[in-house]
Amino acid sequence: MADRGRTPEGRVIEPWRWSVADPRGGSATMNLRHGSASYGRQQWGILNMMKQCRMEMDPSKTFLGRTLLEEITPMIMVLRTSLVEEACQKNGLSFIQMLQPFCLFNRIDVPVRTASDQPYRLQMFKLRLAYASEICQPNVEVAEEHLKQVVSRANEEPLTELSSDAPELEIILKMAESRSFPSWFQIFNKELIHTISFSEHETFDHPIACLLVVSSKDVQPLNKFVDLFNTNQLPSLLNDGAMDPKVLKHYLLVHDNQDGPSEKANDMLIEMRNTFGSSDCKLLCINSAESGIKERESNPWLPYIADADPNVGRFLDTNDLNEIKDLMQDLASKHIIPYMEQKVRVLNQQVSATRKGFRNQIKNLWWRKGKEDTPDAPNGPMYTFSSIESQIRVLGDYAFMLRDYELALSNYRLLSTDYKLDKAWKRYAGVQEMTALCYFMLDQSRKEAEYSMENAFSTYLRIGSSGQRNATRCGLWWVEMLKAWGQFKEAAGVYFRISSEERPLHAAVMLEQSSYCYLYASPPMLRKYGFHLVLAGSRYEITEQRMHAIRTYRSALSVYKGSSWNYINDHVHFNIGKWFSLVGLFEVAMQHMLEILACSHQPLSTQELFLRNFLHVVQNLGKNHVVFRLQLPVIGTRSISVIFEDHRTYASSTSVHVKESLWRSLEDEMVPSISTTRTNWLDSQTRSSLKKFKDFSICVAGEAIKVNIEMRNPLQTPISISGVSLVCELSPRSEEAGSDEHKLESSSNNIMQLNDRENKGADISGSSFVLSEMNFTLQGGETRVVELIVTPKVEGILKIIGARWTLAGCIIGYCNFDTDIPKKKPVKRRKSKPSSRQNLKFLVIKALPKLDGCIHQLPMKPYAGDLRRLVLELRNPSESPIKNLKMKVSHPAILIPGSLEDMDVDFPSCLEKQSSHEHIGVRTTDVKRSGGRLVLFSESTVIQGGSTFSWPLWMHTGVPGRISLFISIYYEVENSSSEMNYRILRMVYELEVLPSLEASFHISPCQSRLQEFLVRMDITNRTTSQSFSLRQLSAVGQHWKISLLPPDLSVCTSKLLLAGQALSCFFKLTDSRKFSSSEGIETSTDDLLESDVNLGSQENREPLLDLSTSPLIDFHYRERLQVKTDKDHNRTVDFILISELLEKRSSDPRDASDAKRLYSHHACQCSIANTSPIWWQVDGPRILHHNFFSSFCEVKLYLTIRNCSDMVATIKINNTDAWPDNFGQALNDSSSSGVNRSVGWHDISLENDLKTVSDSQVTRPDRTPPPFPDTVSPFIWCASSSTKLTLGPSSSIKIPLQITAFSAGTYDLSSYNLSWSLQLPEDQVSAENSVWQSSGTCKGHPFYLTVLQSH
Amino acid sequence: MIVCVAVVGHQNNPLYLQSFTEADDALKLHHIVHCSLDVIDERVNNPKKTGPTLNETFLGLLYPTENYKVYGYLTNTKVKFIMVTTDLDVRDVDVRNFFRRFHSAYVDAVSNPFHVPGKKITSNTFAQSVRAIVKSFGSSTAV
Repeated sequence: MADRGRTPEGRVIEPWRWSVADPRGGSATMNLRHGSASYGRQQWGILNMMKQCRMEMDPSKTFLGRTLLEEITPMIMVLRTSLVEEACQKNGLSFIQMLQPFCLFNRIDVPVRTASDQPYRLQMFKLRLAYASEICQPNVEVAEEHLKQVVSRANEEPLTELSSDAPELEIILKMAESRSFPSWFQIFNKELIHTISFSEHETFDHPIACLLVVSSKDVQPLNKFVDLFNTNQLPSLLNDGAMDPKVLKHYLLVHDNQDGPSEKANDMLIEMRNTFGSSDCKLLCINSAESGIKERESNPWLPYIADADPNVGRFLDTNDLNEIKDLMQDLASKHIIPYMEQKVRVLNQQVSATRKGFRNQIKNLWWRKGKEDTPDAPNGPMYTFSSIESQIRVLGDYAFMLRDYELALSNYRLLSTDYKLDKAWKRYAGVQEMTALCYFMLDQSRKEAEYSMENAFSTYLRIGSSGQRNATRCGLWWVEMLKAWGQFKEAAGVYFRISSEERPLHAAVMLEQSSYCYLYASPPMLRKYGFHLVLAGSRYEITEQRMHAIRTYRSALSVYKGSSWNYINDHVHFNIGKWFSLVGLFEVAMQHMLEILACSHQPLSTQELFLRNFLHVVQNLGKNHVVFRLQLPVIGTRSISVIFEDHRTYASSTSVHVKESLWRSLEDEMVPSISTTRTNWLDSQTRSSLKKFKDFSICVAGEAIKVNIEMRNPLQTPISISGVSLVCELSPRSEEAGSDEHKLESSSNNIMQLNDRENKGADISGSSFVLSEMNFTLQGGETRVVELIVTPKVEGILKIIGARWTLAGCIIGYCNFDTDIPKKKPVKRRKSKPSSRQNLKFLVIKALPKLDGCIHQLPMKPYAGDLRRLVLELRNPSESPIKNLKMKVSHPAILIPGSLEDMDVDFPSCLEKQSSHEHIGVRTTDVKRSGGRLVLFSESTVIQGGSTFSWPLWMHTGVPGRISLFISIYYEVENSSSEMNYRILRMVYELEVLPSLEASFHISPCQSRLQEFLVRMDITNRTTSQSFSLRQLSAVGQHWKISLLPPDLSVCTSKLLLAGQALSCFFKLTDSRKFSSSEGIETSTDDLLESDVNLGSQENREPLLDLSTSPLIDFHYRERLQVKTDKDHNRTVDFILISELLEKRSSDPRDASDAKRLYSHHACQCSIANTSPIWWQVDGPRILHHNFFSSFCEVKLYLTIRNCSDMVATIKINNTDAWPDNFGQALNDSSSSGVNRSVGWHDISLENDLKTVSDSQVTRPDRTPPPFPDTVSPFIWCASSSTKLTLGPSSSIKIPLQITAFSAGTYDLSSYNLSWSLQLPEDQVSAENSVWQSSGTCKGHPFYLTVLQSH
Repeated sequence: MIVCVAVVGHQNNPLYLQSFTEADDALKLHHIVHCSLDVIDERVNNPKKTGPTLNETFLGLLYPTENYKVYGYLTNTKVKFIMVTTDLDVRDVDVRNFFRRFHSAYVDAVSNPFHVPGKKITSNTFAQSVRAIVKSFGSSTAV
C-alpha cells in the first residue's frame, strides 16, 4: 500500500517550472520518511489536527461540504424540441436556464431509506440538468478558452488601483485573519472541475433520469417524444454501454400561453398519459404574462446567468414560477429520489449476494487471480454497466448522493481493492477520491481521508495525461479538505503540486491560491507567500494575463519591500515596471524602475538593461519628469562642503582649504579681537538683531557660495548628467519672524511643496540669485566632486535646500541636503558656535567691497637665493573705498614689503653702490614690532572703488624646500554695516624652492697675524641645468675687509659655474676692529681692503652692489634671525654671495638684462675662531746677520698674547730646550692635533669634490712645511724660561722673549708650551655652557729664524 | 554538488550568497534561500528541543525541492547558514561536518577588525575558504 502511495518519480519537469515544491502539504506518512527532524513536525501536526477535531465541525457547512452537496447531485438529461427552446428564448433564457433556479431545494424534507432500515430525511437537495448534447467530455480547446475568459474576467481591480502603492504588510496580515480567498478563485476552480465532467470512470455525472420536453406547438407530440429518445444524439455514455440505457424517463409538455389557451395542451397531456403512464407526464405552461413584467423584486435567474440582462424572464409571471417550482419539486421528491432509493436497495442486495461474506471474497480473489495476465492498460479493463464493479460504483455514488456516506464508503472500499487488483488505475483513483470525500463528509479519520486523497492524486498523475485533469480536481478537493481542517500550509503544498502539473495559466491561479494559503497559515509564512506570488506572476505573464501578473507582483512587493534581498527586489520592481510600461502606465512604471536604478550589485548587462528600460519609460512619459531622490547618480549628502566668504575672503581655491587655525594664528594681531564683539547678557539686547541669526552663516550679496557635493555613479555603465545646480530659496529678511522659519521647516519634507518651491525658486532666480549649471558624464563607478555655485543678489535669508540635475537629458532628479546630519565643514569654525550643522542657511547682507588680490611674477619653482621684486596687486571692484590695510606674511624671511618708491626703480641696478645711501622708512619699526610679520600700510592708503592698488614686495628664497606662503590682508570698509566692518583677504602660494648654489665657508685664523683670517669658499652648483655666474662676495659689517687671494687674479676666467660644478676659492679676511689692549698695541689695518670683493672677470666687471641697501640688508637681517646660534657675534662673520643666473634665452641681446637674475646667498655666523680663547703671536726678526766668530747671537723676540674671552685667563709659558725626538713629526702633530681640527689647514682628500676644478688656477699657499735644513743647530732660550701671567678679558699683552743661537742656521722657535686656564665666574660652576674650553696647553707656533754668518 | 551557500543575518538580511553553478540562476537561488528562512523561523519558534538537541545548531533538512535539498544551520548569534545541494542522498554527518567547517570560516571572517557586523561579507579569504570547503564536500560524498 505504501508503495503505491508514494509520489511517482521521474516526472517530466518542463523547463519553466523552476520552482520549489513543498511536500509539507503531503500526508503525515510522507513526513515520516524525512527523518527525526521532521518527525517532531509531524507530531505537532497531529496535535494540531486533534485540537481541531475537538472543535465542532460540520463537514457539510464547510466550503468543500457545500461544494459536494451542490456538485455531486443527480444529473438529469434534458431532451427537447426546438420549439420548446423557442418559447423559452422569448424570456432570454434557454430551457435549462429557465429551470435552473428551481433545481435547488433548501427544504425538500424527503424521507429516505437506503440499505439500512432506518429512514432519514434529506433537507437540502439539488438536481443538475444538462442537454443530451452536453453530456460528453468537453472539447479541450473550448474548455481552455472558457477558463481563460474566466481568468480574464477576474480582473476586478481597475488599473488605477493597481498603480497605487503596494499594500502594507500589516494590512495584508490583518486581511489574512479573515482567511477569505478572492471569490473568483472558487469560480475558476469550479470551472476547472467542470472540464472533466461526464467521465466514464465515475457515475455521479451519469444521467439518472431523462427529461423529454416537447412543445404543444409541435406536430404529433407523441411521436416527437419517441423520436427524441431514439435519435443518435444520445450521449455516448449511453450508447457505448458505460451506463445503463434504461434510465428513468419523464415526459414534459411545454405550452406557451402566448400561443393561445391551454385546452389543446391539456388534451395532449391526457393523450401522453395514456401512452407513457400517468405519473411520468407533466404539462408546463409558461409565458403567462402578456406584456412582460417591468419590475421584479428578486429575479431568480440573475445569480445563475453571467452578465444577464435584467429583463430575463419577463414573460414569466408568478404562476409560471410556481408551476416550474412545483414541477421540479415533484420531479425530485416523487421520482428521482425514490428511484435512487430503489436502485440503491436493489444494488445493495445484489452486491451483498455476490461480494459480501467470506465465501464471496475468496471466490472473488480466486476469480481475479485468473485475470492477472491482462495487459496493464491505463484505463484498465473495460467495465460495462452490467459488470459487478460498475454496479458497486453506481451503488456507492447513489448512496453518496443520498448522503448515506457509510454505505458509500463501504462500497468504495470494496471496489478499490477490485480495481487495484485489476490494475484499473483511473477507476481506482476515482474510487479513492470518493473514499476520501466520504471520510471527510463523515468527519472520521482525517488521516485516512488524506491518505486516500494522496493516493488518488498520485495515481491519477501516474496514468499520464488522461488523468492529469482528474488529478487537478482531486487536488482541489484535497486542498479544500485541508483548508476546512485549517491546515493551510499543507494546502499550499498541494496547490503547488497541482500547479506543477497544469498548464501555465492554471498553474498561475493555483500558485496564487497557494500563496494565499501560506499567508493564512499560522504563523504566516510571508516569504513563501511572496515567492509563490512571484511564481504565479511569472506564469500569468507567460499566458499574457498581464493585469494578474502586475497584481501578484505588487502583492509580493509588500513582502520584499524594505528587505535587503536586492536581487529579488530588483526582479520584482523591474518586471512590474516593464509590465506597467507595456500597459501604458508609464508614470507608475517609472516609479518602480526608479527603485532599481542603483543596482551596483548586478552585472553590467543587467544594469544596462535596467537603465535602457528606465529611459524608455521616461521617454514615453513625454515631458521632463521631476523625481525626488533619483538614485542616479548617488549624491553623497554627508560629504557636502560649503565654501563661502563672510569677512574672510579668499584669493584662490587653495587658500580655502587651508586650516582655519593656521589663518587664525597668522591673523592673531591683525584682526580686532573677538572679545570686544562678544556679548554678555547685559548688552545682548542691543545686538538682538544679529542674535536671531546666530545659526546662520553670513555671506555678502553678490558673492558666490560654492557647495561641493560628491556625485557617484554606482553603475558600471557611463551616465550623462546635465544641468546640475543647487535648489535654493531666498526670502527677504523682513519676514524673518519665527513663523516663517517654522513654515520652512515643516515643509522641507513635503515633496509636493518642495516641487512648488523649486519652481518658485526658478521664477525668482532671475532677480534674487544666480545658479550655476554643470554638464558632464560620469564613467562607470566614477565619483566626482562637483562645485555648485549660488550667488545671491539681494539681501535676505538664503537657504540651500538641495540639488537638482537631469539624467540622460530626460529626467530631472533632485535631492535635499539633510541638515540633520552634521557635516564636515572646513570653513566655518567659530568658537561661539558649538555646532556647524545649519551651515546651509545664510544671512545675506548687503554688498560690500571685496578685494581681489594676487602677486604678480611670483615664480612657483624658484631657485634658492632668488632675489626679485614682485608686485602685490589689490583690486577693489566695488564702488566704495576701503582703508586701513594691514598685511601679514607667514614667512617674513621670504617676502618683505618694499616701499612705494621701489616700484619705479630699476632692479637690480638700484642695488649698485652709489654715493648717497637712502633709507626708506616705511617699515623698519613696524617690521620689528611683530616679529617682522605685520605690515601696516599708512593711514592714507585708501583703495578707491574700481581702482587697483599695487605695492612692491621683495622676495628672496633662502633654503630649498617646499614652502606654503600665507599672506593675509586686512582691510576695513569705509561705510561698514553692523554685521561686518572689516574683511580679510587670504592668499596662499605654494612655492617649491629648488637648490641652486651651495656655498660653504671655512675660516681659519692666520697663524702669523692677528685679526687676519684665511677664508675658503666652496661653491657647488646643485642645479641640473642652470649656470651661475659669480658676481660678488661680501662680508657684512664695516669692520670686515675681504680680498681675493692672490689679490690680482679673478676667481675663474669664465666666471661661470656650470651645472654640477664645484669651485673653491680663497680670500683673506681682516678684522679692522681695534681691541682694547692693556699695552696699547694695535693691529695695523690695511686700508686697501674693502668689505666687498668683485668676483667677476677682470675685463667685464660689473659694479659692486651695495649690501646695506634695502632689501638686501633686510633679507640678511632675517636670515640672521633664522640662524639661531648663541655664538658671540664678535667671533662670527656673515658673508653674502651674489650670483647671477644666465637663463637660456639670453641669446637675445635685448632680453639679456631681463634674463639676468640676481641671486644672493647668505652665510651667517661663520665662526672665525677656534675654540681656544688665547691667541698669541711671536714677533721678531726673521733673518739676522751675525758674526758668530765674535759671539753667539742673542735674538730678542716678542710674544703677543690676546685673551679673546670675557674671562680672566691665567697663562703660563714654558720654554723647553729639550729637543723633540722626532721633530718633524712633532711639527705635524702640532698642526694636525691642533685644538680645533676643523679650522686650519690639513691634508684632505680633494679628489672627489674638486675634480672638475683640479686644473683651474686656484692659488693655494704652499702647504708643505719648509724642509728643515740638515744643519740645524741648537739654540737655547734665555731670559725667563717660564712665565706666568694673568690676562684680563679681551686684552692683550706683549712678553719679551730671548734666545741665544750659537751658530748660523735656521731655527724653529716653536719649542715652547703655552698653558692657559680660564677663571670661571663664581656663578658658573662648570665650563660646559661656555663656548670656550676652560683650559688647555698648546705647543708653540712655528717661527723660523734664520741666522746668517755675517762677514 | 553544492549549488549555493548563504549566510543570513539575524534580521534575515543576506550577508553572503555564493552560487557554484555556471547557470544564471542567482535570482532563483536567492528565492530558495529566502523561502527557506520561513522554515527556519518556523523551526526556531517551535522548538521541540530536549536534552541532547538543546544546543543543536544544525537544523537539518529544511525542505526538499524538486531538484534541490536545502539544509540549515543556526549559530548562537542567530546567523543562519543555508546550503543548497543537488545531491539527493546526502548523509547528515557530511552536512554537519560541512557546516562546522563553514562556521569556523565564518568566525574567521567576522573576526576581521575591518568587518562591520551586520554588513555583507566581502572578504576574499572567506570566499576562497568557502570554495575550498564546498569542493571538499563534493569529493567526500563521492568517495
